[in-house]
Amino acid sequence: MSRFSSSPFAHNNSSVQKIMLQVQLAAFPALLAHIMLFGYGIIIQWFLAVATALLVEFVMLKLRDRPVMPNITDFSALITVTGLVFCIPPESPWWVIVSGCAFALVFGKHLYGGLGYNPFNPAMLGYAFLLISFPAEMTQWTLPKDLAGYTLSFWDSFNHILFGVMPNMPIDSFTGATPLSTLQTGLQQGLSSQDMLQATYFESSWLNLTAWGWINIAFLIGGLWLLYTRTIRWQFPVGFLGALAFMAWVFHMINPALYAPISFHLLFGGTMLAAFFIITDPVSSSTTPMGRLIFAASIGILVYVIRNWGAFPDGIAFAILLMNIAVPLIDRYTQPRVLGHIR
Amino acid sequence: MNIRLHQKLINLIASIYPMAKRWLHQFHGGVFPKYNKSLSLRQPLRTSYVPKQLILPLQQHMGEAALPCVEVGEQVKKFQMIAQPAKGLSAPVHAPASGKIIAIEQRILPHASGLAEPCIVIEPDAKQDAIENALGITHKPKTIAEFKQLLLNAGIVGMGGAGFPTFAKLPDQPKKIKHLIINGAECEPFITCDDLLMQTHAPEIVRAALFVAELFDVEQVICGIETNKPQAIEAMRQACEDTRIRLEEVATVYPMGGQKQLTQELIGVEIPSQLHSIDIGVVMMNVATLRAITQAIELGQPLISRFVTVSGMGLKKPYNIEALLGTPFNELVELAQPEPKLNYPLLMGGPMMGFAVAHNDVPVIKTTNCILANPPETSDEPMACIRCGECAEACPVSLLPQQLYWHARAHEYDKTEQLKLFDCIECGCCSFVCPSHIPLVQYYRHAKAEIREIKQQAKLTEIAKQRFDAREARLERDKHEREAKLAAKKAAVKQQAADAPKVEKTAADAPKLSAREKAIQAAKARQKASQTTANEKDATAKKASRKDNSKPAETAPAQSANDKRQAAMQAAKARAAALKAQKTASTETPANLTEQAQASSVEDTPSNSASAEDKRKAAMDAAKAKAAERKKRQQESSQ
Repeated sequence: MSRFSSSPFAHNNSSVQKIMLQVQLAAFPALLAHIMLFGYGIIIQWFLAVATALLVEFVMLKLRDRPVMPNITDFSALITVTGLVFCIPPESPWWVIVSGCAFALVFGKHLYGGLGYNPFNPAMLGYAFLLISFPAEMTQWTLPKDLAGYTLSFWDSFNHILFGVMPNMPIDSFTGATPLSTLQTGLQQGLSSQDMLQATYFESSWLNLTAWGWINIAFLIGGLWLLYTRTIRWQFPVGFLGALAFMAWVFHMINPALYAPISFHLLFGGTMLAAFFIITDPVSSSTTPMGRLIFAASIGILVYVIRNWGAFPDGIAFAILLMNIAVPLIDRYTQPRVLGHIR
Repeated sequence: MNIRLHQKLINLIASIYPMAKRWLHQFHGGVFPKYNKSLSLRQPLRTSYVPKQLILPLQQHMGEAALPCVEVGEQVKKFQMIAQPAKGLSAPVHAPASGKIIAIEQRILPHASGLAEPCIVIEPDAKQDAIENALGITHKPKTIAEFKQLLLNAGIVGMGGAGFPTFAKLPDQPKKIKHLIINGAECEPFITCDDLLMQTHAPEIVRAALFVAELFDVEQVICGIETNKPQAIEAMRQACEDTRIRLEEVATVYPMGGQKQLTQELIGVEIPSQLHSIDIGVVMMNVATLRAITQAIELGQPLISRFVTVSGMGLKKPYNIEALLGTPFNELVELAQPEPKLNYPLLMGGPMMGFAVAHNDVPVIKTTNCILANPPETSDEPMACIRCGECAEACPVSLLPQQLYWHARAHEYDKTEQLKLFDCIECGCCSFVCPSHIPLVQYYRHAKAEIREIKQQAKLTEIAKQRFDAREARLERDKHEREAKLAAKKAAVKQQAADAPKVEKTAADAPKLSAREKAIQAAKARQKASQTTANEKDATAKKASRKDNSKPAETAPAQSANDKRQAAMQAAKARAAALKAQKTASTETPANLTEQAQASSVEDTPSNSASAEDKRKAAMDAAKAKAAERKKRQQESSQ
């Protein structure tokens, strides 16, 4: 069916490629913040991820007997692996990102029929795979420069990631637990969240924000750009952040000693990354306007639940995958009222 | 004042965030294509182009094709009726210029199907012989019936695109129309013919609207014009001054000109699904239709020309023209100096809802608002749907285009109907915004056609099943009747046998046997007789009695066979007629069909054992039913 065999004969010139590139562009502020705050590791990881993606896409398209050219340039794999890169510790060994990307693309996308047919968010499927398979590597996060006191050079990072060469220092001095897991451990040890948040670990240098806070702000800026360019639907961030903030507010009001404030939940972990870049993946999320709001809000609630009462410090991946399963059901019951129909 | 402020605020936001323009209108979604309207407004309006041949299709409207009432070789005058309306929903065709009928033949129509249909071809002469007041009006129509007859005679149909005969959409009683909406929205890109018509003929449009409003005792007359036509708005505002017509500027958004959309915009009411706008007291008329009405009621002129936009990216000098109906597209396009050469199909209508014509020499018809010459561009191949939801955001009917697409593609037609496929107006907004370049509307059109086909098939199957069931029931009934008769006969014979001697009984059974069997029996009897000569006397008695009994029994079947043949012939005739009626009838109620099916099934096998009298009666009944059917259909079609 050629596009010009029947009306309309006009188009607004949007394309899948443009949407994907828009997302990639919007990730740049966060990428820059990442480099500034955590060093060059992420660049090396990103290149590794892109190389893996190209290889996997090529092989899978060949195996599936699909034309390589239009499909490899839809840039959807680029977005998947970029999402994943932001989720893994910047100084983790090369095989983490490579296996994660391969898993995400093969099992998350191609085996379901390629772009548009995957029920699960491929990036989150890859992340969940990594978190379960390599928990040690995945939870040792690189410390921000100002906490570690020094930085790894590009070359140090390169050698460490690819060849496991240790820089001239013990590993503990440049990696550590993430704030979320620190808080969880602290609470288990009987400390109050207020004490924890005042500990040096969470104290920050600039504008009273931590490195993680700045990363989240950078994602927020990129996300606003995506909203402006209509690349993502507003229901996703509004529903997700709204529900998460509401949960945080309610429980913080009930017991401030046990539950962290709103700002903590919004600015730590992968909150903003998820809100604007991950749950907004249209393929695996709900398609009706109301459904999107329900989908996003449910993820927000689940994230809060997993963060506070679950076994994992950050439950975004699991919350998203769980809600992906519910999408057909949500879509079925949230169909909008058609013009001229009562319901 | 408040509304103005609100609009200004939104316009301010729209300068930063363009899609904020969607907040300016009442209906959901909508898109903002590149309008390119200034292209065709640069050149002055052309008039009086007479082509070498005028090709006038008999079908330029919805409904039945007109019937030619001229002969090949005949000389016709301008405004002369050359094809009269068929019964029912139809419209006549008039000669746009004086000249000679050179052919009545199949020509390709400007229709999406690209099929050839009968057309009257006129070779115009230079004489310009015209019939003054061709419709023979002496005064403005005083009654609704008179007005509707005039609309029919003038061949006026909806000129906005649908081509629905105008007389048929008006009610028979006054006060049935609450809101008369004048549609001057013209939301399709490139098209400016209504814009220019309003600029040049605003008073005529207004006079027709006021006339209709008075005749039908309409409560409210509103005229909706998109904000991107300031000159037309100004002209109409002047014409509407001191009249009851309320002029409304409506937001420039596609598809504002759609009937449901403009109605919602202007009076804030949704036309319920499955209903017509008249059911909620709304009648919408295009400005071109209104102008044609003025020409009919004031000058007695039938519809022979219309404003057409000739535009497109492939033309150096796009323009508007008051074109004679029947003018070939390519001649009009040549006037606009195509660049590059015209070697691609032209579009009729705008880029959003128009269609490519099968051949570029198709003629302008009553619904041709635009001839578009856009050279083909390299198109992007459709990719997989990424469920982004832009289509749902753009849909003016709040459908879920991408879910419809999934189901249409999977041939899950029941699901597409649940998702209200038939509420789709095929405006093309979804395809317009689809980043994967999926021809969504094409899928919906295909699905709709398939569903209609399936329903038609189901209907036919149901009829066949009913007929089969009726036949089975009848056969069963006949069998019972036959058995009952036989039983009665047997009982009678038994009774007789009880009275008569034993031999008589076997003789009484004889007529039922065939001649051969009888012969065999007779031979056996003879043998027996020859063997036992002692009983010879009895044997002759038997023979004689057999003869006596068999004679009347033989003549009776002969008579009844004769009757049967006649009855069979009658029944066959009736059946053939019924079959014909069934074929021609397209809109039958199932009840009718059942009746017919039963009637015809009764006639199916005339050689049944029901008496000839019964059959004749049945045939007559069938004929009566058929006649009633035909009458009913005629009434229906004339409504």
